[in-house]
Amino acid sequence: MRPDRRRPGDTPPPEGVFAGAPFALIDKAGAHGLTLSALNEPARAAGLYRGQAHADACAILPALISAPAEPERDLAMLRRLALWAERFSPSVTVDARVPGYEGLLLDMTGGAHLFGGEAALLAEIRTRLAAADIPARVAMADTPAAAWALARFTASPDPIAAAGRTREALAGLPVEGLRLEPQVLTLLKRFGLKRIGDLYNLPRAGLDRRFRGEAGQRVVERLDQALGVLNEAMTPERPPPLYRLWTPFAEPVIDIPGVEFHLPRLARGLADQLTRAGQGARRLSLTGFRVDGRVTRIEAGLSAPSAAPEHMLRLLKEKGLEALDLGFGIDALMLNADLAEAVGAKQGDIQSAAAGKRRNEPLPPCGEGVGDGGADAALWGFTRPDNPNRQRLTPTPNPSPQGGGEWRPAPSSGEAADLIDRLQAKLGDSAVLRPQTRESWIPERSETWVPATPEAADLDIAKDRPRPILLLERPEQIQTLAGVPDSAPAHFTWRRVVRRVIKAEGPERLSAEWWRADPNAARPARTRDYYRVEDDKGRRYWLFREGLYDREDIQIDAETKAEIDRPPTWWMHGVFA
Amino acid sequence: MPSTLLINPSQPDPAVYPRACEPLEEVGAAEPADAAAALAFALERLTGAEDSRPWLLATTPMWLRERGRPFARGMERFAPGRLIWVRAEKEAAALWALEEALKSGAVAGGLGCVEQPAFVTTRRLEFAARAGGARGVLLRAGPVSDLSAARRRWRIGAAPSGQAAFDAAAPGPARIRAELVRRRDGPPGCWELEQDNETGRFGVVAGLAGHGLDASGPAPAGRHAAA
Repeated sequence: MRPDRRRPGDTPPPEGVFAGAPFALIDKAGAHGLTLSALNEPARAAGLYRGQAHADACAILPALISAPAEPERDLAMLRRLALWAERFSPSVTVDARVPGYEGLLLDMTGGAHLFGGEAALLAEIRTRLAAADIPARVAMADTPAAAWALARFTASPDPIAAAGRTREALAGLPVEGLRLEPQVLTLLKRFGLKRIGDLYNLPRAGLDRRFRGEAGQRVVERLDQALGVLNEAMTPERPPPLYRLWTPFAEPVIDIPGVEFHLPRLARGLADQLTRAGQGARRLSLTGFRVDGRVTRIEAGLSAPSAAPEHMLRLLKEKGLEALDLGFGIDALMLNADLAEAVGAKQGDIQSAAAGKRRNEPLPPCGEGVGDGGADAALWGFTRPDNPNRQRLTPTPNPSPQGGGEWRPAPSSGEAADLIDRLQAKLGDSAVLRPQTRESWIPERSETWVPATPEAADLDIAKDRPRPILLLERPEQIQTLAGVPDSAPAHFTWRRVVRRVIKAEGPERLSAEWWRADPNAARPARTRDYYRVEDDKGRRYWLFREGLYDREDIQIDAETKAEIDRPPTWWMHGVFA
Repeated sequence: MPSTLLINPSQPDPAVYPRACEPLEEVGAAEPADAAAALAFALERLTGAEDSRPWLLATTPMWLRERGRPFARGMERFAPGRLIWVRAEKEAAALWALEEALKSGAVAGGLGCVEQPAFVTTRRLEFAARAGGARGVLLRAGPVSDLSAARRRWRIGAAPSGQAAFDAAAPGPARIRAELVRRRDGPPGCWELEQDNETGRFGVVAGLAGHGLDASGPAPAGRHAAA
């Protein structure tokens, strides 16, 4: 592993007006009042240091300009920078473990040669960051811990520990480079161990025992991690994409047509990668790296894995390339398949192809090269209806007396998947739905709508219970007049119209699901009696009476019993055909 | 309601049966309260043919607020497993989704619940439906007489239900009055249709017997009315 680290140095003063003047950020959260949390070069030159009390600092340097620190915004900025750094490596980790020593960690294993070697890579990172006004120190070493130490405690701008020579590179650095707690550092210095190299020759067992608690263990552990004896886990900001293709530009691309021009090549390359691996993308992301050190990206999901470059292109275009904020231009473009699944070759469905033949809708005109009688397949002329969207065409003989055959689309889940993807890309996942039944008899709970998939849903619908075709989102209360309290109403008023009930069927009693009691509900659920009624105009409605006249059959405490026992109310819930 | 008269009882007009659905048809509710009847008739037109492709329903928020949301358990006879519901925010988006779906050849049909499609839009929809070998149905809010490229325009109203099998006081098989207001291939007409309890298909109500008829083929008897 040859990761490199960089650290955005001191936060530059706001507005740039204070350039050259001593400036510090103040941490208010400290236990001992206001303390300095970050300072610039002039302030440090005046002898101030991180962690110093603000009052002391002002006594030393009355001209000190200060502003409150905002660690959350610093971290957000670092995260944004991590996305930008993905142009160098797919695995970028934000390292904010030690306050004041935040940085980024790039796993460059096997990647440095793409940028002209390690030295060229470090120089490029530093130059690009400097162009965006971010002073940084960059280092490269075999292990994350070694790179961490080199980036922070060496004098040279781009230190590189040659492969396999980490031990020598670290020997001269101060023990602070091991990222230890302050108490441990103090103790180490009291022992006279000031350089990392001083620890190399000490007996490890003794080193461990010198410190109280786990501190000694930590010294050994950190040393091992720096030297590569012990592995150090890194958690990338985003999981590395499964497949990615990246292209830099000599000149920044400043408009969307430019992106559109480069996109097909990327899509084809990514499709090649996917096809070779027998995979199809389920989620695509297109990232533009802006010259000002930011990134802009769009994402598109696919309902079924696909490795067709045209489909990827169309999806991204429909998602809206205009959503890419190019700023002053982008100098690199990256297309990722963040999620991929195996694509199985699918056999055409012979039954549905035959069903397609039987479809009886008016057809586009058949071909001119028509045989006589249509009995001989060799004589059939096949024409292709003018539809560029058809990908899969199956010849289906049309045994009509006029003869002639035509190409019919074989109904395949592939076409449906393409359609669903495009609709979802444009309208959002939650806008393209299919039904799913649930195990519940409360109507509004008995089915949910989930993002659509190309395969037909398997619904579990009882045939003996008539249900309305339209269900009101929430039941609407109605006023009723009933002959007998415990029967269907004789009249009811819904949406300000009085309707006379001619026929009624019911009740179908649906008890409240007491095991699902919602503590946040305004009222406890009550038993519902559903009636199917028909008014004098022939319209059929689904009404229910909520609550029972005598008592509810659920056992509850006395407090809610009064609420449960209030008089029943009538509600409109749906309309039948 | 137009006067009903019995003509040519041996051969009812094939336009009533969903097998004869044109690429684009328009279905409107006779009154706003007949929305469910109109929806059922539109679904019948859409899913009447044997076709294993999915079908699409595109709605707008206003339509849902006014009339309720589709309930798959009540659509059991219209293959709800193959339903793709596009819950568009704007009417323009719903029409776009409908056109794309019809054009793609991936759906058997598409139903758009819209208020005011422009004539050009309906023309585009018709071309799309032809190109994709699909059938498109526009479900309009009420009876309208604006320009449209739809080959047939229906006006659907609820009608008193038939006789229930075992309970005289219960609503029987659903009946609707289907009025073919405008068509290109023949005279307009008006039929009373009844939903078959077994198949869920609408068939012309027989004048005397009172039974629903098989919708898969021409019925032996039917009422045909001239508007």
